[in-house]
Amino acid sequence: MNLEVFENGNELVIALNGRLDTTTAPRLEAELKERLDGVEKLVFDFSGLSYISSAGLRVMLSAHKIMSRQGTMSITHVGDVIMEIFEVTGFTEILNIE
Amino acid sequence: MNNQINEGTVSIPLSGRIDSNNASQVEKQIQEQLEGKNANEVILDASGLDYISSAGLRVILRIKKAHPVLRIINVNSEVYEILDMTGFTEMMTVEKAYRVVSVEGCEEIGRGANGTIYRIDQDNVVKVYNNADALADIQHEREVAKLALILGIPTAISYDVVKVGESYGSVFELLNARSFSKILANEPEKMDWCVKEYVNMLRKIHSTLVPAGKLPDMKETALRWARFMQDYLPEEAAKKLLRMVEEIPHDDHMLHGDYHTKNLELQNDEVLIIDMDTLAVGHPIFELASMFNSFVGYSELDHEIIKKFQGFDFETGATFWRRSLAAYLDTDSPTKIREVEDKARILGYTRMIRRSIRRKGLETETGRAQIAFWTDRLLELLEKTDTLLFSRNELVIEATTENLPEVQAFVEKQLEGTDCSPRAQMQFGIAVEEIFVNIASYAYAPGKGKATVRVELAEEPTTVTITFIDHGIPYDPLAKADPDVGLNAEERPVGGLGIFLTKKTMDEVGYEYRDGQNILTLKKKL
Repeated sequence: MNLEVFENGNELVIALNGRLDTTTAPRLEAELKERLDGVEKLVFDFSGLSYISSAGLRVMLSAHKIMSRQGTMSITHVGDVIMEIFEVTGFTEILNIE
Repeated sequence: MNNQINEGTVSIPLSGRIDSNNASQVEKQIQEQLEGKNANEVILDASGLDYISSAGLRVILRIKKAHPVLRIINVNSEVYEILDMTGFTEMMTVEKAYRVVSVEGCEEIGRGANGTIYRIDQDNVVKVYNNADALADIQHEREVAKLALILGIPTAISYDVVKVGESYGSVFELLNARSFSKILANEPEKMDWCVKEYVNMLRKIHSTLVPAGKLPDMKETALRWARFMQDYLPEEAAKKLLRMVEEIPHDDHMLHGDYHTKNLELQNDEVLIIDMDTLAVGHPIFELASMFNSFVGYSELDHEIIKKFQGFDFETGATFWRRSLAAYLDTDSPTKIREVEDKARILGYTRMIRRSIRRKGLETETGRAQIAFWTDRLLELLEKTDTLLFSRNELVIEATTENLPEVQAFVEKQLEGTDCSPRAQMQFGIAVEEIFVNIASYAYAPGKGKATVRVELAEEPTTVTITFIDHGIPYDPLAKADPDVGLNAEERPVGGLGIFLTKKTMDEVGYEYRDGQNILTLKKKL
């Protein structure tokens, strides 16, 4: 997985490329832990993401829980295949998916 | 005389012309040579005979009457024509003289266990046999080559037997052909192409079913190697080796037996396999063992050997072997490739050790060093290997999270060629990850252990079954209750989604604990 982070004041955009799975999710988790302080708007750009597993979903849910206390979180450019996973797991009801 | 003379056989040379002028004199000379010898068989060697008239033929008839077992050999074509016209070829054994061919200065294009192949002119090659008494071998090779051709293997069949110095040779037509060794040595950029064609041919050979009894069983040969080793290995290792060879099931599929790149020829645009005398039947592991030796084993200690034999360097040979094995197994998984290579090495080292000992290797310092080197490796491999069997669709791998990408890639490769949608691929990915990571995290904690991942495909409708086996503590991941996906974000626990997704996206998910193994099965129709 490749991770690109754009910071703009209290806005944070993270673009993910490749696979978000058990082996790569810890890297995203560490990145968030380091950068989420003071962030009010968190955006994940999924346009380059080809795969997400439960480990990835876990990070999304944790991030969502943190962000719901300090601002907003959204996910953009979600492909059909990943969208279906969000639907089955009820994530479409919880997360702000654009 | 080139033929072995058995006791009671008398061989008499005939020379020059035999006609009414000298027939009675010749007859007298022959009788003198037979006198006092209790000849069961008389061989008339006609290599020096230029002409024979009816007077000469009558002499032969009289000798035949007194000595019914009579052969005339080395008959030139003029004399043969006379014998044929007069019906002598039907009355007695008449063997034609073999055309004499010289290979001096000819290019060596192949070398096998039993002979060396030279190009004698633009269209023809001759295989010269090492064994001086090779007529039976030549006959054998001709027959197995014919059998292979009939069974659909593109090969060349010899059309003539010739005499080359003291040996015999068989002549093949091979036009504008170049061996794969030559291509690899001169055009390294064609490695990919060579691997592809080499493996295509290998698969073709291995998928050819041979009628029972037509070819020798390679397992019998390997059993001889393993039995031989009983005296040269520690008892336990020796027993394990023998047991593993014994456990290889009988297989009636064809093996080439000496499948290296000098035996693969590109003729115009067609790939031909030559040097068929080692053809056998058996499990593919035997072939892979011989391939390992050809490209790596024989030259592992002296890299010059492969250079001399194949014309390319050790690195090229080792790369070609590994890539061919990967392509043959249809995998990129280093673990899978290593697993099968290790099995091949067990048989490969066994064979080399036996060969060296039988050639008095233990009596020289170099020989002892070689044997020790191979024995060390063999013992190391025997320690960690429990079977010589392998299957392409099964990966046995250390259950660690770090190995997840390799497991995923292995499964994806197995699904290649099925009409698996990106959606289904993702679902398989999620399920495989969930199960494998579960095993990696819990089955052997805090220790380590292996997991087996097997992918099976069934037709109509295309159904994929993925089985995971581990020997860890009994654990049924399906027993956990599904998470409530209707809860709001705050109330939802962050875990437990993997198994839920697996159950949702697969058609069947099964778990059982049997014989000390956790067996988890995923099944999905495509």
